[in-house]
Amino acid sequence: MAKTGKKGIVTKAPTRQMWRRSVVVLVVLIGFCFSALTGRLAVLQIAQGDEWQQKAVSQQLSDSTISPKRGSIYDTNLTPLAQSATVWTVIMSPKDIPDDDTRQKIADELSLMLEVDHDKLLEKTRKVSSQYEVVKSKIELALRDALSEWVQENELTGVFRVIEDYKRYYPNATMLSPVLGFTGTDNYGLYGLEAYYEETLAGKPGRIVTAKNGWGDDMPTALKFEKTVDAEDGNSLVLTIDSVVQRYAEKYLANAVKEVGATNRGAAIVMDVNTGAILAMATEGGFDLNNPMTIANPDTAAAIAALSGDEQSEALRKARQAQWVNKPISDFYEPGSVFKVFTAAMALEEGVVDESTQFNCNGFLMRGGARMNCHKKGGHGLQPFPLCISNSCNPAFIQIGERVGAESFFKYFTGFGFTEKTGIDMLSESKVTDVLYHDAGELGESQLAASSFGQTFKVTPIQMITAMCAAANGGRLMQPYVVRQVIDAQGDVVKNVEPVIKRQVISSDTSARISRILADAVNGGGSKNAYVAGYRMAGKTGTSDKTDQQVAEGVKKDVVASFSGFAPADNPQVAILVLLDEPHAPINFGGTISAPVAQKIMADALPYLGIEPVYTEQELANMNRTTPDVKDKEVSAAQNIIDNSSLKYKVVGSGSTVLRQVPEAGTSIPKNGMVVLYTEENGAEQKAIVPDFQGKTLSQANQAAAAADINLQIAGVISGADNGGTQGEAKGGRQSVEAGTEVKPGTVVEVEFIYEDNIA
Amino acid sequence: MASRASSSAGNAGRIKNVGRTAVPVRLGGRASAAADKTKKKHRLFALANGFDMPFLIILMIILAVGLISLFSASYAYSFYWNDGDSFYFIKKQLIFALLGVAAMLLVSTIDYHILHHFAIPIMFVSYVLLAVVLFLPDKSGVHRWIRLPGLQFQPSEIAKFGMILLFAHLISLNHRRMNTLTRGFLPFILILGMTCGLVFLEPHLSGTILLLSIGMIMMYVGGTRVLYLLLTVGGGVAAVIYMVFIKGYEQDRINVWLHPFEAYKTNRDEAWQTIQSLYAIGSGGFMGQGLGKSRQKHLFLPEPQNDFIFSVICEELGFVGAVLVIVLFALLIWRGFTIGMKSPDKFGSMLAIGLTAQVGVQVLLNIAVVTNTIPNTGISLPFFSYGGTSLVMLLMQMGVVLSVSRNVSDEKT
Repeated sequence: MAKTGKKGIVTKAPTRQMWRRSVVVLVVLIGFCFSALTGRLAVLQIAQGDEWQQKAVSQQLSDSTISPKRGSIYDTNLTPLAQSATVWTVIMSPKDIPDDDTRQKIADELSLMLEVDHDKLLEKTRKVSSQYEVVKSKIELALRDALSEWVQENELTGVFRVIEDYKRYYPNATMLSPVLGFTGTDNYGLYGLEAYYEETLAGKPGRIVTAKNGWGDDMPTALKFEKTVDAEDGNSLVLTIDSVVQRYAEKYLANAVKEVGATNRGAAIVMDVNTGAILAMATEGGFDLNNPMTIANPDTAAAIAALSGDEQSEALRKARQAQWVNKPISDFYEPGSVFKVFTAAMALEEGVVDESTQFNCNGFLMRGGARMNCHKKGGHGLQPFPLCISNSCNPAFIQIGERVGAESFFKYFTGFGFTEKTGIDMLSESKVTDVLYHDAGELGESQLAASSFGQTFKVTPIQMITAMCAAANGGRLMQPYVVRQVIDAQGDVVKNVEPVIKRQVISSDTSARISRILADAVNGGGSKNAYVAGYRMAGKTGTSDKTDQQVAEGVKKDVVASFSGFAPADNPQVAILVLLDEPHAPINFGGTISAPVAQKIMADALPYLGIEPVYTEQELANMNRTTPDVKDKEVSAAQNIIDNSSLKYKVVGSGSTVLRQVPEAGTSIPKNGMVVLYTEENGAEQKAIVPDFQGKTLSQANQAAAAADINLQIAGVISGADNGGTQGEAKGGRQSVEAGTEVKPGTVVEVEFIYEDNIA
Repeated sequence: MASRASSSAGNAGRIKNVGRTAVPVRLGGRASAAADKTKKKHRLFALANGFDMPFLIILMIILAVGLISLFSASYAYSFYWNDGDSFYFIKKQLIFALLGVAAMLLVSTIDYHILHHFAIPIMFVSYVLLAVVLFLPDKSGVHRWIRLPGLQFQPSEIAKFGMILLFAHLISLNHRRMNTLTRGFLPFILILGMTCGLVFLEPHLSGTILLLSIGMIMMYVGGTRVLYLLLTVGGGVAAVIYMVFIKGYEQDRINVWLHPFEAYKTNRDEAWQTIQSLYAIGSGGFMGQGLGKSRQKHLFLPEPQNDFIFSVICEELGFVGAVLVIVLFALLIWRGFTIGMKSPDKFGSMLAIGLTAQVGVQVLLNIAVVTNTIPNTGISLPFFSYGGTSLVMLLMQMGVVLSVSRNVSDEKT
């Protein structure tokens, strides 16, 4: 077959077998194998193409979100309560740090500048494969500028960058804290209105879709692909709450809670009687919204700091939960005598009593085998229906309740909204379950008796004030609300909230009659510590035992002292509820400790809210005078001026011209107060000693003040009304200048007067 | 036709009586018929007595498409890894392609018969290199490359050519006894076993499979009894089954193949390749994203200019483009086999078939790998994948096929 020759070895031509077998190989290789590959490609590219492409696109496109700016929360006058501001998150790319010296420098200098842990930062700089390490989140403008300057100086522009973010600020820190709530670090509302209105406030995040390479970097220009969907900023809330009223409420509530040692804190609500709009909602001891995790109460914080481990974290968790509680809508309490308003209202509505109906009280009544006492030992005797409320007489109300009957009692109980949520637009309103109250079937003799004066069932403060508004406003049960308007980022109105009437509970006639009775109770009656000059306040006090409290034998159970009322009585506008939980003052009655708080809030709030005062003649007579300016005037002329101002004077020295005056011009002092006129430059300095007003009646105090050449300013109850003095007189309490202090004659000393009757 | 008869004459003695009948050499259809000297001169593109034009044209088209594909596939990778120089790979490859084509044309002018004398020496050198490479420093655990200044090559590539040459040599000289066990089977299986064994030790699984396939194809075409081949294949399959399923070798590779997404959790790098390749191929759809518009080549596909260049073609040119490439290769193989079958002597026939089969099997394995049809063994696509030495060697081997084609008689076309 082979031949060696000129052409080397030459073999014979291929055989037929070789030819055949070549064809077989060709057929197998091309006809079978290549066809199979083509088939496989068809499956991958045509049948499953979209599927694979989708998966590929999801890795090729980077989808980053643009945070929308969260809407603000404003009070009713558009004062900002919560706002978002732009902040920056600092990102470092350790991959681009040139050397170890630079790493050390970054750790040394940035840990100080950004206040981050030095060692942790150093550790991050060493993650050389990473391009994304968060150094610090949410730095503010000044710090960002400082950082970019530092980065420029050290030529590290490739290493550091900042990402825009938003941070929530609460300008008033603690004010309205449980109501507003707060957001988490991701700007998501976690609590309060921030959580309830999350969708409204949040806005819609935008997106940037960019083509990325396998390292996650941008594609080169030719293949660059970027699509931006702008973020939609969130809408803002305009609350019904007025920061001024809120501040009044918080201030006086906090003072009271501190003063009476209310261990379970206190709550206050101010509400528009006719619309259900919340004007103020205060819980004593708010927390700093800018640092919601920090325990605001220093004692609690110290106690927790002393613990360790699980015990500490558990205590911390509980303390946080506790400080975040929005007491006015979350906590249940037994309303006590305040509830008599509704028993009275249903009795009037049902026509089973009228103003002339007489009820007898012997100091107690036996119901269901239990002795039910009146707070007045020996009883009130025979009393007309309105006085039953003023006296807050339990035996009378047991009888009134029985006249109404269990069936109707429960009908109105439900009607006034005590068996349901009020529906306020807030997150944590407690669910009302039937274990909290007795339904018609459960109202036996003793249950009905106790329920009539507000015991053996529980309500929330918001339920109570909502019902009180219904009693005052002509019988309409309103749905309370805190957001009156939603506005968009441009300030255009997105939504106006209209008041919602849930139902008519009692007739407007009954409402008016109840208002009159309650006004009398305040104006000289059992609730007189809530009296506000110029406004006919109506209301009712209440003190209820915490019957379900577990206490050792012989220890008195704690009480809840409350007051709820409204003003003006003849045209109710503003309702208020003040509740002090577990007070530990010498006297813990609602009338003694809660009504004065309500009085102070209303005295400040009503004029501010533009409700015109209507003074009685007696009130006008007692009103303060403003001292005139008599400086540099002839003594005789000065005397004339002062006389004309219904004030008195005392001249010190023998000069002919007034050189100084005490009090100074423009000071508000009571009618017939004294202005001391100094006529000699170097005359012997006159001294007056401030007397002790504690426990003195008004007239005793006036006499003492006059004797000491002191101007007495009466604070708290300025009782112009006189209801025949069935109860004791107001007594002096706190005074603005301590007894025994040496002051200039004519100095104004403010003294608070309080009725200390044992009115529940 | 090159006449280096003087050198081969000395070697003739070593080839003992392989053929009994001396047959006049057919110097190609026209050569004997026409006395025209000019036609016998080395006119590269002459139709008459020139080489097979269809084969050359198909090959040049494949090379052109391959270079364009390489440019596109390497563009991004090169940009990222060579300081923004997108032309780094294509420049080098283009130079080697030109060199390779020149070398191919040169080789095509050489009478392939002189290769008889190189068959044993080349195989011997291959064995030496295959042994040496095992003792050279490894690169990520494998000993595949011999690196000399300015030149780096895989001994397995040389062994591949050496084995094709040796098989062609042995088959053509022993053809009548190819159906015997001792002459037609054992020597071949011994050479094949040794070569594959050494390559397997590198380790170089795809090289091993390629060698095995080519060897078996040549033995089959050469006339080895099908029974022996079936027994060998059966034994091989049994061995593979034993190794994989009983002994549990290559489990990672198998897992990546069968469940790439699950395997990704534990075997990131391997599974990543497969997943990215599937993404690229699938993304191409029917018509493709358009030339140059692959997104997967942007650092998703690892080294898109190498083994996974076909995935980029699929993504950019779609099913249509991919099938076109397959068809081009099919045509090349068909033409190569045709040259082999029409070759006037068995040596040329076996050389053409062996060298063409090599291309065919490599294309088959590469596409099967990138489509995850078979487990990933890491095999390049001839004329497409980046690699200068390998391209030049491949083209030179195609030169041998062209050289064979010069002797093909037209009458048999």
